Amino acid sequence: MSTTDQHDHSTHPGGVIAAIDIGTNSIRMAIAQVLPDGRMEVLEQLRRAARLGQDTFGQGRLDEEAMRAAVAILRDYRRQLDLYEVCGIRAVATSAIREARNADMFIDRVFMATGFDVEVIDTAEESRLKVYAVRHRAGSRVKLSRFRTLVGEVGGGSTELTILSKGHIVASQSLPLGSIRLQEMLVTAHETPERSAEMLAQHVDNALTSAGASLKLGKIKKFVAIGGDVRFAAEQVGQPTDETDLVTLDRDRLDELVDRCHHHTPEDLINRFGLNFADAETLVPALLVYQALMHATGVKEMIVSPVTMRDGLLLDLALRVTGQEDETLAVGVMHSAETIAEKYGVETKHAANVGRLALRLFDQLQAEHGLGRRQRLLLQAAATLHEVGRFIHTRAHHKHGYYIIANTEIFGLSREEREIVALVARYHRRSCPKNSHVEYTALPRPMRMVVCKLAALLRLADALDRGHAQQVRELTCHPGDGELIIRVEGVADLTLERRGLDTKGDLFADIFGLKARLEEAPASLGDQRRAEPVQ
Amino acid sequence: MAKNPKKTPDLDDPSLYINRELSWLEFNHRVLAEGLSPELPLLERLKFLAIVSSNLDEFFLIRVAGLMQLRAAGSAKRDASGLTAREQIDAIGVRAHAMVARQTEGIAEALGLLAEQGLVVLGPADWTASQGEFLAAHFREEILPILTPLAVDDLDPMPLLPGMRLNVALVLAGARPDDDPGIVVVPVPGQLARFITVPGAEATHLARLEDVIATHAGQLFPAGNVLAAATFRVTRDADVAIDDDAGDLLEAVEEAIQARRRRHAVRLEVSADPHPHLRGWLLATLDLAEADVYEISGMLDAAALMELANRQGHEDLKYIEWPPQPPRDLIGSEDLFQTIRTQDVLLSHPYESFDPVVQLVEGAAQDPNVLAIKQTLYRTSGDSPIVQALQDAAEAGKQVTALVELKARFDESRNVTWARRLEDAGCHVIYGVAGFKTHAKALLIVRREAGVIRRYVHLATGNYNDKTARLYCDIGLMTADADLTLDVANFFNLVTGSTEGAEYAKLAIAPTGLRRRFHELIEREIEVSTPEQPGLIVAKVNSLEDADICEALYRASQAGVRIRLNVRGICCLRPGVKGVSKNIEVRSIVDRFLEHARVFYFRNGGREELYFSSADWMGRNLDKRLELMFPILDSRLRRRVVGWLDMYFADNLKAKRLLKDGSYEPVQAPGKAVRAQLELYQEAGEAARAAERTAMRFRPLAGPES
Repeated sequence: MSTTDQHDHSTHPGGVIAAIDIGTNSIRMAIAQVLPDGRMEVLEQLRRAARLGQDTFGQGRLDEEAMRAAVAILRDYRRQLDLYEVCGIRAVATSAIREARNADMFIDRVFMATGFDVEVIDTAEESRLKVYAVRHRAGSRVKLSRFRTLVGEVGGGSTELTILSKGHIVASQSLPLGSIRLQEMLVTAHETPERSAEMLAQHVDNALTSAGASLKLGKIKKFVAIGGDVRFAAEQVGQPTDETDLVTLDRDRLDELVDRCHHHTPEDLINRFGLNFADAETLVPALLVYQALMHATGVKEMIVSPVTMRDGLLLDLALRVTGQEDETLAVGVMHSAETIAEKYGVETKHAANVGRLALRLFDQLQAEHGLGRRQRLLLQAAATLHEVGRFIHTRAHHKHGYYIIANTEIFGLSREEREIVALVARYHRRSCPKNSHVEYTALPRPMRMVVCKLAALLRLADALDRGHAQQVRELTCHPGDGELIIRVEGVADLTLERRGLDTKGDLFADIFGLKARLEEAPASLGDQRRAEPVQ
Repeated sequence: MAKNPKKTPDLDDPSLYINRELSWLEFNHRVLAEGLSPELPLLERLKFLAIVSSNLDEFFLIRVAGLMQLRAAGSAKRDASGLTAREQIDAIGVRAHAMVARQTEGIAEALGLLAEQGLVVLGPADWTASQGEFLAAHFREEILPILTPLAVDDLDPMPLLPGMRLNVALVLAGARPDDDPGIVVVPVPGQLARFITVPGAEATHLARLEDVIATHAGQLFPAGNVLAAATFRVTRDADVAIDDDAGDLLEAVEEAIQARRRRHAVRLEVSADPHPHLRGWLLATLDLAEADVYEISGMLDAAALMELANRQGHEDLKYIEWPPQPPRDLIGSEDLFQTIRTQDVLLSHPYESFDPVVQLVEGAAQDPNVLAIKQTLYRTSGDSPIVQALQDAAEAGKQVTALVELKARFDESRNVTWARRLEDAGCHVIYGVAGFKTHAKALLIVRREAGVIRRYVHLATGNYNDKTARLYCDIGLMTADADLTLDVANFFNLVTGSTEGAEYAKLAIAPTGLRRRFHELIEREIEVSTPEQPGLIVAKVNSLEDADICEALYRASQAGVRIRLNVRGICCLRPGVKGVSKNIEVRSIVDRFLEHARVFYFRNGGREELYFSSADWMGRNLDKRLELMFPILDSRLRRRVVGWLDMYFADNLKAKRLLKDGSYEPVQAPGKAVRAQLELYQEAGEAARAAERTAMRFRPLAGPES
C-alpha cells in the first residue's frame, strides 16, 4: 500500500488475497486465490449494506451509528479471512469516505478493530481499476485499443465515466448522477410516474450535455457498461456474445425494458425479477442514465461486462503475489503523463531525453538507491512532466509544475504517488527539499526519501540536457571513491553540461555522498551508440 | 398478458386443477392399497396400514384444522380448484370415512392372516381364564399405578381432553335410577407399549393395552356399576401454531380467530357403537359435528401397529433385505477428496450406501488439512454420526458452521439438546433463518492442499440423516466444481448473515430465484420446441401443488412440449385435458422405499440439462423456504440419471397413472413386469460389481513383503 512496498512476494507460489471495497451503500469483499499456475479463483463474495454515503452526502461526515455498523461488518469480514492465510489484502474506500470530514477517524477505527489499512482512492484510481478489470476480461470483442471507448458505471452516488483512446485512459469524470440520488429526486417530486420520469430524463440529459462536451462523448465508438443494474438489464434482454462473460445490449431493447420497468412498482419488480427492495427502487433511475449515455454517444449497443472494481483490486493483488508486473499499467501511466505534458505544451524532445537519462542513472545506480520498479515509473513520469509549469510562467515554473501535477489525474497512480511525482518535478531545479516546504514535510519519512532520491537523479539528468539539444543521449555511471563518474560519448563540448552538474548535483551529493563528474568516453563506442534511435 | 383470441381455455379455470387435499387423500389411498395388497409380506402390509393412520393424523392436525379455521372465519375464498373451505371439508369427510372403513377391514384381515402365522392379537373375548388372570395381575402391578382417571362430569370447568391421546371412557350408572349416567375418562398411558405379550401359549399372543384398561378400570369404582366402556381419541388443531404447512390456508384468517380456534377439536375417533350418552357428551364437549366422528370397529390409533411390524423375528413376514451397495463412483477410491477432485460423484440412496457422506464429514473432521466445514442439518437425529463428526471437528479447532433447522415439525425438543452440544464444542450454530425454514441440503468442506485452497461440496435432495437414508430414495452429488463450490460458499455466507446477496453462477435458490428459474427453464423448453423435435420435460417430485408451475406446464403442453411427471404425492395438475394438458402424463410410485428425490430434466433442443433440488413444486417450497437447485454438469452422470427417470416410467407393478378425473389407476403395460425400485437396486449392484472388476484390473500389485 505504501510506495516503498516492493514486490517481495516474488517467490510466493500463490496464495489467498482479498479485496475490500467500502462504498456508498455497501461494504463488499471478494476473497480469491492465486493458483500456482497464475490463474485466479474466486473463493467468496460478500456484500453487506452500510449506508455510509447517506451521511457523507447529507452532512459531510459519517455518523456514529453508520461507522459502528461498518466496523462491525469489517470485523466479521476479518473473521472470514482468518480462515485462510491471507497473503495480500487491499481495502479501499471511495466517495462516501473520501468526502467525509471525519474519514481519518473512521479509517483509524477500522485499523484498530481489524488491521485493515483502508486506502482512500480517488476517481482516477477507481477508473484505472475498472478499466484494468474490463481489459483483462475483454477478449477480442471489445478491441479497446482500436476504438475510442467509454467505460461507464452508474453507482448509487455518482456515475463514473472513463474515456479510453488507443487503449489508454485519457479522461475520467464523475457525474452527480447516482441512482439513489435520482431516486430521491423522484420520490420528492410528487408527480405522476410519467411526468417524474420525464423530469428525471431531462435532469440526466442536462448533466450529460455539459460533461459530454469535455469528454467528447460524440466521438465514442464503443461503450462498455459495468454495474449491477446494467448487468440485470443484460440478463433480461441482452444478447450473449462469443466471449463468455460479455453480453451486448442494444438500444431498442434497453428502451423497451426501461419502458416496461417504468410501469411496475418496486414491489412488482421484486416479484417479477426477484430483485431485493433496494435494487428494485434504483433500477429505473440507473437504467435511465445508461440509456441517456447511449443516446449521447450515439452507439447502437453497449457491451455489458460483469467486472467490478474489486476484480481490478484482485488482479493488482494477484500480480503482487506472483511477483509479476503489469506491463500495461506502466504504459498507461506514461500515456497519461504524456497526454498531460502535451496539453501543457511541454517541449517533448527535452522531456523525453531527460527521462531517458534519468532512467539510465536509475538503472545503473540501483545499488545506491535501492528503489523498485514502481519508483522507476514515478521518476519517468516526473521527468515527462517536469516542465509543465512553464505553461503558466517560466519564472518559478517548478512551483507551477508542482501545482499542476498534484491536481491532475494521472491514471494508474495513487494520490500519494502523484504527490511524489509532483514533488520530484518540483525539485528538478532551484531549492532542494527543505523542512520549511509544507507539502514535502507532510509526507511520511520513507516517501520523503523517495522524493529526495528521485529528485537527485532528475536534477542530474536535467543538467545533462542543459542545452535542450539532446547532445547527451547515453551515459554510463561509475560510482567510486566519493565520486560518481558519468561517461558520455562523442560529445564535442560538455561545458554546458558540466556547469549544470555543478549547480544541480548538490542534492545528489547530499543524498548519495557522491560528487558527480562528467567524463568523455572513447569515441569508438560512442559512434555506435549515437546511431541508436532516440525513444 | 393478452388473452389468446383462439378458443383456448383460461389456464386458471378451476376445472383444470385438482384440489390439493383430495389429491393428498388419493395419495394416502395408494398407501392403503399397498397395505391391502396380498403381494406384500404381512408385516410390511401392516406397516403401510399403520402409515395410513399416522398420515391421516398429520393431515387432520394441520390441513383439516386449517380449513376449519377458515370455515369458522366464514371465508368464502376458493382454492385453485374452485372449492371453499366448507366444500373441501365436506369432500374430505366423505373420502376419509370410506378410507378409514377400508383400512379397518384391511387391518382385521391382516391380523387374521398374522394369527395363522403365529402372531396373535387377542380381543378381550379371546382371553382364556389364565390369560385373564395374568392380565389382571399385570394391570394391578404395571398399569394401575400410572393411571390418572378423570371423573369428568364432577369437574367444572371441563378439563381439556388432550389431543392425539388414546382414552378409555367408562359410562357409570348414576347413584339413583333416575340420575344421568356418569362418565370417567382414563387416558391410556403413552409410555407403555400398546401390545402386551401374554405368556403360556406356543404362538405369540398379544393383548391390547386399551382392552386391559377397559376391562379392569371398573375396579376403580364401587359396586361394578360400569354400564359401558369405549375407546376414543380426539384430534385438535395442532399447537404448532401457524406452521408453514398450513400457511397457505391461514394467511387470510385473523389472528384473533386463530387464537380462539387453536386447540379446537377437529376430529373424534371412537370405538364402534359407543354408549349413546357417551357419544352425545363427547360431541357436545368437543363441539363437533356428526361428520367429524369416525366410529371404528377395530383398533384406534392404528399407527401403533408399527410396534408389531417392527418386532424382532418374523423375518419371513418382512421384505427381503436389500443391503445398500457400495456406490459405483467410489469403488477403488482410496482418497475421497482426490476422487471428487477428479470426477463428480453421484450417490443414489438407499440403493447405494449413505456411508460415504458420513465418511466425508468424519474424514474432514480428522483431517489436519481441513480448515472449515459448513453444513445444513434439517431433521437430523442427535445420535447421528455426522453431528458427532462436526463436534469433533470443532473441538479440533476447525471452523464449523451448522445451520440447524429447529422448526422441522415434531422434533423440536430433541434437536435443541444436540445443537447446544455442538455450540459448546465451538461450532457456530445458526438456528435457522428468520422467516424461512432451511430445507436446502448442503455441505461444504474447505481444505488446504499444498498451499492451495480446495473446496468440496455435497448437495442432495435428502436430509443428512443416516437412518432415513436407508428408507428414502434420494440423490446426492459430491463435486469440486469451481462454480458450484463458490456458489455454495456464498450460500452459506448468505444464511449466516455474512452477506446479504450474491449472484450465483449455477445454483438457484428459493425464495429468491428458484421459482423464476423454473419458469425460465419451462419457457425455454417452449421456445426450442418444434413439431419435428418437440421439447421434453421430465420431473420427479413429491408434490406438484403450485398453480403457477401448473400453468406454465399447461402452456408447455399446449406448445407441444412432452411432459412426463413422476409425482409421488399431491398433484394438483390435471393431465389429459384436451387443448390444455394432452401432452402431460403423471405417474406415482408408492413402494417399499419412500420416493423423495426431486429431479428435473429439460431436453433443451438436445443440449440436455438436469437438475436436482431439495424443493418440491409447492408454494411453500418456492416462496417460504430456503431451497437449492443444482445442475448435474457431468454428461456421464446425466445419462445415468436419465436412465433412472426412464425406469420410473417403465414401472408397471407399482406405478399408478393419474387420470383426468383425479383418480389413479394401475399402469397396464404389456411385456415383462417392471418394478422400478427393484430394477434400480439391481442396477446399483451390477454397477458396483462392474466397477469393482474395472478397479481390480488397474490395481497395481504390491511387491512381496520381505
